[in-house]
Amino acid sequence: MSYIIGPNVVRYSCTCGLLKPISFLYFCRYCTQLRCSFCVCHEVDSNFCGKCSENIPSSEARVKKNRCGNCYMCPSCEQELSPRIASTKAPAEGEEKVSTKKMYYLFCQFCRWSSRDVGIPDQSSVTGGWPDRENIHANRLQELLDLYKAIVLAQKQQQEKDKKQRGKYISYTDRTGVTAAALRKRIGLPADLTHPLLKSRPKEPEPMIAQTEVEKLPDDIFTKPINLMDITTIEQRLLQPESQPTTVDKLFPVHKQLSIKRTLRCKTCEHNVSKPEYNPSSVKFKIQLFAYYHIPEIRIVTVEPLRAGRPCELILKFTNPTQHQTTISFFELNLDEQEDIVENKLTEVVENVEQLSLQEKQPMSLTSQPSSSLTLSSRSPSIIIKPRKIMEYMNCNIEIPESTFVLPPRDDAAEYDDSGETHNIHDDPKLVKWRKSNKAFIKLNITPDESLPLNAEVVCGFIMQHVYTNTITGQLEKKEPQKYDHKVKVFLTLGQTVGSE
Amino acid sequence: MMRNSIKILPGALVCEECKLRGDITIGSGTIIHPGATIIAEAGPIIIGDNCLIEEQVKIMHKLPFDHKEKEKTTPVLIIGSYNVFEVDCTVESPKIGNNNVFESKCFVGNKVTVSNGCTIGAGCKITEEQILKENIVFYGAKCMMREGLDRPVLQTLQMETLTKMLPNYHHIKKPNMKL
Repeated sequence: MSYIIGPNVVRYSCTCGLLKPISFLYFCRYCTQLRCSFCVCHEVDSNFCGKCSENIPSSEARVKKNRCGNCYMCPSCEQELSPRIASTKAPAEGEEKVSTKKMYYLFCQFCRWSSRDVGIPDQSSVTGGWPDRENIHANRLQELLDLYKAIVLAQKQQQEKDKKQRGKYISYTDRTGVTAAALRKRIGLPADLTHPLLKSRPKEPEPMIAQTEVEKLPDDIFTKPINLMDITTIEQRLLQPESQPTTVDKLFPVHKQLSIKRTLRCKTCEHNVSKPEYNPSSVKFKIQLFAYYHIPEIRIVTVEPLRAGRPCELILKFTNPTQHQTTISFFELNLDEQEDIVENKLTEVVENVEQLSLQEKQPMSLTSQPSSSLTLSSRSPSIIIKPRKIMEYMNCNIEIPESTFVLPPRDDAAEYDDSGETHNIHDDPKLVKWRKSNKAFIKLNITPDESLPLNAEVVCGFIMQHVYTNTITGQLEKKEPQKYDHKVKVFLTLGQTVGSE
Repeated sequence: MMRNSIKILPGALVCEECKLRGDITIGSGTIIHPGATIIAEAGPIIIGDNCLIEEQVKIMHKLPFDHKEKEKTTPVLIIGSYNVFEVDCTVESPKIGNNNVFESKCFVGNKVTVSNGCTIGAGCKITEEQILKENIVFYGAKCMMREGLDRPVLQTLQMETLTKMLPNYHHIKKPNMKL
């Protein structure tokens, strides 16, 4: 797939102003807006281990420091380690019969590291009992951790106390000039009272002392040839931050880090745009509102050699991914105009948040009934995403065709239909070159700017308007799917200009 | 012009379709898959016992350009026993010991002498002039090197299956030598 969508030549503009290929975009059906990974809310759904496919509750994951208890990573190459059987022949005591005993050791299939390399004894069970090494600084870390926890607690209590005290007593000490200490003396209490909460503070650990004298380097440090195979790489050291081994004989297996499944939520309407299935071994989704399934996909088929100031022909392929027929029309994209819109919208945001959410939807609805837009905005938006200016230049003019064309719905069975297709679609022959099932090949005339130098990257853009059929059920008294005109700004990177013939 | 002279010892399993050029001796127990290519350009190749040479493997015996004129005697490429050449690896090494594994799509240049028990990881490209020490492992995209504890495990089970399976589906070259 990446070889088709990988080269970033056709980019769609997200509502937030970022340009991304269609495969990186989401489409919120409730706001009928494009969303990219920067304008959705990322939530951790579940933690799981990628090797043993086991779900681990988030509380347990926190205790285990986001690592799997049973699976290990190779300390040498960060791949997964797998247990291997080594049968050892151990003569049972008192008997002549030689019994084979199954022992297990960890082995990396990739770099052939094994737990025997560093002298970890073989284990008798598959899953475990692999010794975890003690961190030499564990005590010190625990001491510090306890201290800071206690400080946090003390501060919280202090804050609560302050809240309670405020307004309860009116202090006259500042007016009469009698200090708190003097007052205490008068009523017969010891003058300086340490704070009761400060007393409960645990004893502070001994501070570390910086050493002025450092151990001398061994004499042969510059003369002894080093064996690079004995020394660990930076990556290997950072994989074990608590010990940071410098030589390979101190590399010990590392617990595998857990992976997460994410739910993506539209920040504006709080609906999910992507929700994976809970089961870790499943790669399917419960909700997947990817733009790829809702917005017509555009691919560049051919482009004539681009010459500055000369018109040339561009053929694009449009594919309708939805089950509904759509009509596509083109509009000119003017980036300067868009700047004004952005500014206008921003002022509106300040003026009235509620109003804006209505206004945003109104120009989109084809049947611009006020009721439909009201139902859509029944959920009040939590965050208004500020539209941003699209940071892209265009140096190529597109002749915007006046006529529109129709894309039939996607039909999976059509791929296997050999009979000649009969379309009752009347196309503008100047615009539509050829069509097949839900795809159409469109010819556009483009002219790169006159002033472009040789080998300059040519970028052109237009607004594609397509009819989006919203099929959300459960809308108030709305049985029929609603149709919207949805506009998407599309940018095409066409290649470099070449010299004249 | 090279003359083909293929000597196959009894017990070896050499498929008819594999490409063998020049003077090649194949030891007993060695399995050569139909898509393999072995070219003895600079001199004869002697393959030891129980080697496994898989599909698309290219074993070439050619000398580096600067070596060509110096030596007067024809050099012989001796490949030891129990070597595994995995799918689509290219080996031009002038000398190969025993128990080595050349993983898929690796490349070993003609200046690299391979000793015993070495593993050249998948996709690793080794061209610099060197003699590999015993039990060296190359792995990863950066061709990281590490010293293994012992030799890679033998593929006896795999070889046994192949000796049973291959004759069922391929024409096998008959051994033409006696032990």
